[in-house]
Amino acid sequence: MSKNKLDVFQAIADPTRRAILIMLATQALPVNALAGKFEMSRPAVSKHIRVLHESGLVKITDSGRERYCSLNQQGFAEVTNWFAFFDKFWNEKLNSLENLLNQEHNTDKL
Amino acid sequence: MSAQPYVIERVYNAPVSKVWHAITNAEQMKQWYFELPGFTPEVGYTFTFTGGHEDGIQYKHLCRITSVVENERLSYTWSYDGYPGESEVTFELFPEGEQTRLKLTHTGLDTFPADNKDFAASNFAAGWEYIIGTGLKGYLEKA
Repeated sequence: MSKNKLDVFQAIADPTRRAILIMLATQALPVNALAGKFEMSRPAVSKHIRVLHESGLVKITDSGRERYCSLNQQGFAEVTNWFAFFDKFWNEKLNSLENLLNQEHNTDKL
Repeated sequence: MSAQPYVIERVYNAPVSKVWHAITNAEQMKQWYFELPGFTPEVGYTFTFTGGHEDGIQYKHLCRITSVVENERLSYTWSYDGYPGESEVTFELFPEGEQTRLKLTHTGLDTFPADNKDFAASNFAAGWEYIIGTGLKGYLEKA
């Protein structure tokens, strides 16, 4: 799916970045305002925003002295490709199943 | 989007009976799959589980078993309460010596809301929560 950019699924793997996306789902927000909503340092929030931007999920637009973040619908389209979505989903689930089976295999229980 | 089924295969270092147990026993299922109050592998059995963002909308998954052949095959429907589309998930187990090949087929993904213009256009924000909150939740939080 991803070509020369950060994988969107990696981008949304982080709870802070998911929280940012949820905030941006309803409105565009200045970077400063976003940074103020988290307890972590401003550079830390900026780094998350940069990851979201590089993954194509978030657009950054300069408006006067503020830099505004908003969701990028094209990035969203990639996540809503159900084929890719379920590929990730089932791979992870089947990995978990493997872990479970290996545990049982090693301890020889059940 | 193409209507081709999604297929994934894995070989597990465990006998078929053990893999069957893992995919049909609620106690086992919650360790790798979803937390269910119970699970009975018989045709017609329905089960649901919920996923969603902590602060957002919860999405209920609806499933109904359509095929059961012990140690060989398990199929159930998979849809989302309140949203169009119905898919079907099939687990097939093949013994390979001491190991088991699991083939998972997920058909009908093309019936899901991503293909539904109304959903995609008007529920952009809800769609996000949908994606972030459902199946991804578990794997993302472990990632």
